[in-house]
Amino acid sequence: MSAMTLIARDELRLMRRNHVAVTAVLLLLLLTVVAVATAWTHQQGIAETRARHQRAANAAFEAQPDRHPHRVVHYGHFIFRPLSPLAAFDPGVDPFTGNTMFLEGHRQNTSNFGDVLQSSLLVRFGQLTPAFVLQAAVPLLLIFLGYGAVARETERGTLRPLLLQGAAAWSIVLGKLAALGLVAGVVGVPAMIGFALIAGQPGASIGPIALIIIAYGAYLALWSVAITLVSTLVRRRRDALLALLAIWAVTVVLLPRVAPDVAGQIYPLANRLQTDVAIARDLRWLGDSHNPDDPHFARFKADVLRRYGVTRVEDLPVNYKGLLAIEGEAITSRLFDRYARESYAAHAAQNRMVLGFGLLSPTIALRQVSMASAGTDFGGHQRFLEQAERYRYDLVQRLNQLQADQVSYADDTAVDAGADRRKRIGADHWQRMPVFTFTPPTPATLVAAGLQGLAIIAGWLVAATLMLTAATRRLGAK
Amino acid sequence: MSYGSHRVLDGLSIAVPAGSITALLGGNGAGKSTTLSLLLGFVRPNDGRVTVCGVDPGVEPDHARGRTAYLPENVALYDHLTAVENASYLLALSGNRPSRAAILDAFAAAGLQERAWDARLSGFSKGMRQKVAIAVAWLREVPVLLLDEPTSGLDPQATADFNALLHAIRVRNTAVLMVTHDLLSAVDVADRIGFLERGRIVEEVAATGTERFDIRALRARFGERARAA
Repeated sequence: MSAMTLIARDELRLMRRNHVAVTAVLLLLLLTVVAVATAWTHQQGIAETRARHQRAANAAFEAQPDRHPHRVVHYGHFIFRPLSPLAAFDPGVDPFTGNTMFLEGHRQNTSNFGDVLQSSLLVRFGQLTPAFVLQAAVPLLLIFLGYGAVARETERGTLRPLLLQGAAAWSIVLGKLAALGLVAGVVGVPAMIGFALIAGQPGASIGPIALIIIAYGAYLALWSVAITLVSTLVRRRRDALLALLAIWAVTVVLLPRVAPDVAGQIYPLANRLQTDVAIARDLRWLGDSHNPDDPHFARFKADVLRRYGVTRVEDLPVNYKGLLAIEGEAITSRLFDRYARESYAAHAAQNRMVLGFGLLSPTIALRQVSMASAGTDFGGHQRFLEQAERYRYDLVQRLNQLQADQVSYADDTAVDAGADRRKRIGADHWQRMPVFTFTPPTPATLVAAGLQGLAIIAGWLVAATLMLTAATRRLGAK
Repeated sequence: MSYGSHRVLDGLSIAVPAGSITALLGGNGAGKSTTLSLLLGFVRPNDGRVTVCGVDPGVEPDHARGRTAYLPENVALYDHLTAVENASYLLALSGNRPSRAAILDAFAAAGLQERAWDARLSGFSKGMRQKVAIAVAWLREVPVLLLDEPTSGLDPQATADFNALLHAIRVRNTAVLMVTHDLLSAVDVADRIGFLERGRIVEEVAATGTERFDIRALRARFGERARAA
């Protein structure tokens, strides 16, 4: 048996005989099991609720009676964001962003009702998920188990006897590292088993799953190397513990919370009220489709009459009010899209800056990989918003087209007693409208989104390993 | 040998033949510990040459340490392990796999009480730890044994046990070098005694006859030198 193996075995024997260490490991395993179970149950409940609400919303939309198509435009439709298959492992921004949208004409609503607004305080203050356990709790446990690995030998004077027994400095350090790495594996396995159960859901793809496993493996390996490094650099266990706790507090707790605030200050987002005011102001410039005297729509009317070779809207083969609605929706939607793109650009700038903080905190980089691969990052939310907007626009324009084709201009402008009935078209038209189906991102898209974070973690791991190599060379001279 | 501008060893020349015990006596700062550090390869000489069984410990520390057992003044062992586990672990690191019986025999020879063999070291006295360490050194069967103040803090019986084991190690053709400031202990076991002063051996005495050393004369001479130093 090599010296490295002997040293690793002794380190594990020391941990086994330390009641505090054993208790801490058992508590963490329990925490992991609870995290997996609660996250799974919670996410299953959310998925079931959203699916039920979506069915109810679809049924309500299709159950509308015969009516004027523009009333259907204003009746609107609710759609719900389906959960990503890996959301139970890492819900990401999902609890904070809304998960339902009300789609209607002339307006581009944003999503509403994030889970944090309608759930218990537990959810508001951070849901216990397998990802959180691996990101925050496991490194803390590894610190308490490994801070004294090498520093203990230096402090108690057993380092020199080890070297004199023929154990090379590298075999001492690698032995300690191997023991800590093995513990990291053992405490990480239950979370990964939970992840495997979650990943077994329909729709989960091997690429993002593999990326998550690699990223978390590299992250825990990084912590194992960093703990061994600090323990090798200092001469007293107390110093090693204090240094490592400070590193944990800054990289795991402080920076992931400070980074979004800093990014928010540098790349501020307009709030809902500011956006609404700005859009209303711009709409006045663009024109109002409901105002027949509006200059833009006056030009539009002239163009339509010229195109159809008539002089009055009453002579058009289609309902002019329907054409007006189509044009109005196209104009307002372009404006809404411009504001949405500006908002996405600000979000993207914020996210790039937060990821930049990953150079200081590998936990931030890991979160980026984890959320991106699980499809629960802001990119996943934006994907839903964009698809929802495309669906809304298509739905509204289909209804406007129905107004143009199925309702005559004469009926549409009539105000006599029977006019209201003549303006209505059959309910079968709503029933034939396509339902909203969220198209999930491809596995390649999810993997590509997480690669930057993985590269940062890999960079950290290489740097820490090089520093440990240098520290090991100095160890023999102590 | 210097640390910066401070010269610690100055022209020290010493050879320890196989099957002999050499004691280096000296006060604080005489260069005793530096001599051992040189032999263990923890420091390299500025000039001159150090060899352990033909190996330069400064160049090939692992090879030199593989031929050397070292017993420091304050023996550092593992409190979470029993005496037997400590011996097994440390010996395994040096490539030795003695049986449990061999370890227990070595403990008995070192004078370690039987009830301590399977007890964890957390409750051990300094003397008991010393006995575990000397048993480990004995079991390694290396050609060189280095001792740093080996009897410091030991009671008379433990000192006697230790000296007896040291004789047995010498009989096995081991070259033993002990550094100490305890003249009586050196007189008991050494074949040669060198007095180290300001980094060089200023006087060397070899054991002769059955009386080995004239303790009174040595005490007078070394006491005088110590006062002068």
